Amino acid sequence: MDCDAFRDEMMDLLYGEAPPAVAQRLEAHEAACPGCREELASYRRLRRGLAAWRVPAELEARARPRAVARPYLAAAAALLLLVGGGLVLRGSEVRYEAGRFAFRLGRGSGPAEVQTELAAQEARHRQEMQGLRLSLASSRRGDDQLLRTVQEMIAQSEARQAGLFTAGLERLEERTEARRQYDLAQVGVGLSYLDGKAGLQAARTTELMGHVLQASQKR
Amino acid sequence: MAPSDEELVEQFQQGDSSAFDALVRRWDRKVQGAIYRLVGPSEDVRDLSQETLLKAYRGLRTFKKEARFSSWLYQIALNVCRDRMRRGRGRSYVSFDELTDGGESPGEAGRSALELIESRDLSRQVAAAVAALPMEQREVIVLKEYQGLTFVEIAEALDVPLSTVKTRLYRGLGQLRQQLIRQGIRGSAPVPAPTS
Repeated sequence: MDCDAFRDEMMDLLYGEAPPAVAQRLEAHEAACPGCREELASYRRLRRGLAAWRVPAELEARARPRAVARPYLAAAAALLLLVGGGLVLRGSEVRYEAGRFAFRLGRGSGPAEVQTELAAQEARHRQEMQGLRLSLASSRRGDDQLLRTVQEMIAQSEARQAGLFTAGLERLEERTEARRQYDLAQVGVGLSYLDGKAGLQAARTTELMGHVLQASQKR
Repeated sequence: MAPSDEELVEQFQQGDSSAFDALVRRWDRKVQGAIYRLVGPSEDVRDLSQETLLKAYRGLRTFKKEARFSSWLYQIALNVCRDRMRRGRGRSYVSFDELTDGGESPGEAGRSALELIESRDLSRQVAAAVAALPMEQREVIVLKEYQGLTFVEIAEALDVPLSTVKTRLYRGLGQLRQQLIRQGIRGSAPVPAPTS
């Protein structure tokens, strides 16, 4: 095997797809030819480097749930369109009159089988409508119960708020009264001090006047 | 033992819709991986993957089983990618600036910060080098190196002779090696240029 032939088959050896006989010939050439050996080795190193490129995990995590559902959604949508389109093309109509739905397929009267099927379908729909009405009434009862519960909760909340407000007001009054008492006591102390100062001043003045009188009498 | 792709296809064609579920569970991540590597990191990856599966769903009833299911599915994915790239011609489909890191690999736990940075940097450089390849070489490299298809499966998916697959792979790997050497990636020693 020469070097050109080796390169022609090298990819099979690199990826392990060479048949045993071919692999044996390639490996014999690889062992004997330093150039080809180095080239194959460099591709093996390259492959190890290429393995570093990974798909972000978040891409897979986000996309996975949608993958299964979508074809079926599309198929369901297509089916709906088909059925809907068929009904329209046949001139069918759905009406709501006098408190009930009425279905009509096609423009004219059809064979007896179609009529029978229509009657059965209409009966089914009536039954479903009845079920819906009952469900709606039950839902209304549920709504009333819910409304009462909410009103009770609001009332309880208001009572709690009023109690808290009253208690807070009482605490405020107590604090205000205590402060007033303290301030009054302070004022009293201040007045007594002023009284004391005024009395002392008056005594000094009297004494001074006594000295002045004595001095004038000596003259 | 899990049924083969071909058995699931058979079941689906006989009316068992759940067989398609099994095929999707088996292939959706692989298809997404291939599309990500072909068109680059963008929101389109998910859309293209969905489009591929939807086309597969529509076409599976009439699938002739002349090729393997995997080849057929990848053929659809490749066509979806090519269509999208043709529509988006004039702008760079794979933005090198947008190339993200390669995600957390199972062996990353316990590695030093420097090792993680080096690993993610290498991932970005490899991604950029693959993105710079001509599309036909990129397709073969992605299908062979990252999707693990055999040469025969790739030839079926691309509808080209086996020898063409090997030539494109050889040339693509040669270009990648040169590109990575230019970027200073270790372990990519120069060798003679491809001869064909």
